[in-house]
Amino acid sequence: MTATTEAVATTEAAATTGPAAASGPSLAAENVSLAYDDRVIVDGLSVTIPTGKFTVVVGANACGKSTLLRGLARLLRPQAGTVLLDGHDIHRLPTREVARRLGMLPQQPIAPEGITVADLVGRGRHPHQRWFRQWSPADEKAVQEALEATGTADLADRPVDELSGGQRQRAWIALALAQGTDLMLLDEPTTFLDLAHQIEVLDLLADLNRREERTIVAVLHDLNLACRYAHHLVAMCDGAIVAEGPPREVVNAELVAEVFGLECLVVPDPVTDTPLIVPLPAGHRAEGGASAGPAAGAASATAAPAGTGAGAPAEGAAAVAGGAVA
Amino acid sequence: MTAPVVADSRQRRAARSGFVTLRVPGRDLSARFETRALVVTLVLTAVTAVVFAWSLSVGDFPIPFGDVVRTLVGGGTTDSDFIIRTLRLPRGLTGLFVGAGFGLAGAIIQRIARNPLASPDIIGTNAGAAAAALFVIVVLNGTTAQVTGGALAGALGASLSVYLLAYKRGVTGYRFVLVGIGITFMLEAVVSYLLTRGRIEDVHEATAWLNGSLNGRGWDDVRPMGWALLVLGPAALLLARQLRMLELGDDMAKGLGLRVERARGALLLVAVVLAAVATASGGPIRFAALVAPQIARRLVGERSVALVPSAVCGALLVTASDLVGRRLFAPTELPVGVVTAVVGAPFLLWLLARANRIGSAG
Repeated sequence: MTATTEAVATTEAAATTGPAAASGPSLAAENVSLAYDDRVIVDGLSVTIPTGKFTVVVGANACGKSTLLRGLARLLRPQAGTVLLDGHDIHRLPTREVARRLGMLPQQPIAPEGITVADLVGRGRHPHQRWFRQWSPADEKAVQEALEATGTADLADRPVDELSGGQRQRAWIALALAQGTDLMLLDEPTTFLDLAHQIEVLDLLADLNRREERTIVAVLHDLNLACRYAHHLVAMCDGAIVAEGPPREVVNAELVAEVFGLECLVVPDPVTDTPLIVPLPAGHRAEGGASAGPAAGAASATAAPAGTGAGAPAEGAAAVAGGAVA
Repeated sequence: MTAPVVADSRQRRAARSGFVTLRVPGRDLSARFETRALVVTLVLTAVTAVVFAWSLSVGDFPIPFGDVVRTLVGGGTTDSDFIIRTLRLPRGLTGLFVGAGFGLAGAIIQRIARNPLASPDIIGTNAGAAAAALFVIVVLNGTTAQVTGGALAGALGASLSVYLLAYKRGVTGYRFVLVGIGITFMLEAVVSYLLTRGRIEDVHEATAWLNGSLNGRGWDDVRPMGWALLVLGPAALLLARQLRMLELGDDMAKGLGLRVERARGALLLVAVVLAAVATASGGPIRFAALVAPQIARRLVGERSVALVPSAVCGALLVTASDLVGRRLFAPTELPVGVVTAVVGAPFLLWLLARANRIGSAG
């Protein structure tokens, strides 16, 4: 099953130059149930993260996507089921060993007051250090490369709390990079950033995925950006996976209605040809039970050839408006 | 994203900015220090040494500075030998060690709770030690060793209660402080009760101790704190790496391979034992554990765990306060705790005002 998923994902990913390295890290959840105290958030979920790909998890607020990510990163111990890192139960591996293979950037991490970028990024080297080996040449090299790759080398001496939101997020990603793991998990790395900074961060992640074949899993709020950047999309609702696969194959109006409870039109993105979600304003929505109309309209719009990018939304909108009236 | 492929020499140094690294050539051994923390520590140590020597030289029988140094290295007269080695040195060393212990304990707890108010004198550690020590003094008529043991038990008990009552997926912020203040009030009630029940001589002795006083300290008082520092000081330094990780939040620390609960437990244990032994030796010297790390932190530029600078700062603060207390209204002595309170209380108010301002922003 894993093999076929990877094969599909590989052919889908236009950006990757070759098949993902067979030796790359593998991360999977098998029938995991995740809960805070006795509040069960995720119940019996299974997912395999495609190696070497950019996977994005989407879903409405409180659907369990962050919880799933915390479970995958062994920050939350499953009540049932196992998370497998390279085929081993992640909770049976030494935590330091896991930290050398899997990096996790939590939502809104805390920067100690006054800490500089260089100091912050250097702390990502912790799993490689010991009390007698506090700063090896390898540490220095990894931090330097992480600073350069994220464009934060010029900010090295600056306190993190004086940076802009986008710069700060890049510093945190640099920390995760310095950790030197092939697998990076990021929980809403673009939240609280303006659009330009969101793109900046996602471009950086896409670049890391492409150039260094790092496996990246990110939770994102913005479905359009998710469709644009993800090789593999995981859509969640109520703690379960509703659909997963390449965005172009899985995203349609029905899915958006199911996952976000939003009526919309799905058209091809005029630039990248990935699905573009256009929410329908109140006047264009179907009333009550007539929801089959717009869904069908949207589906047909998705299926339509995407040659005329600019024209497609207008046509689709017209079709849906017609459906709503009828 | 345009990532520079060829970095200039200034960027090459970016990774090590602000740090000094010592490496053993040919071996995989290295140590790393923050440049500024290192400089601050050296300067503070020098100042502390001067103040310490000064405190040995002044008194009812002034001894010239040169004689102090000569006596310390073993070349003094019989008189200066007695005055310094038997009377002033134990008191001086007690102040030095107790201050260092409070500074270190305060730095650790403040960093773990990410709150400057979370210091052993506010969150019940010192009050627990004081209440238990008083119980040993007043009710059991205990020896110095028994008082130390009682203080240790009291501090551990009080701190554990605060930790457990404040625990809710981690122990950060005001929850920790507020629970600690509550426990402190309860323990102070116990202290008041013991004072009303005790014999008048015991109460007199206990009151002096409760004010935080170094008066009449002998070598018996120096030893427990000396041992505590000798064992727990290096332990704290080893745990400083873990503390740096804890500062990033539990999730981040776990993700970087830290066993969070174990590291936090070990750090708190070290801090609580240090504060307890310090309280047993010098009394609950007010604000020393609160103020010393905050001064140290400002000196090193608010970016370091600053354990060593905090310890040195604490030693300096207590030594200097004791000197002021001894000399200000000489021959009447003020207990050292009164002096630290006079310095510390305005500082606490300033911190509160500042925390309030920041607090509104989260």
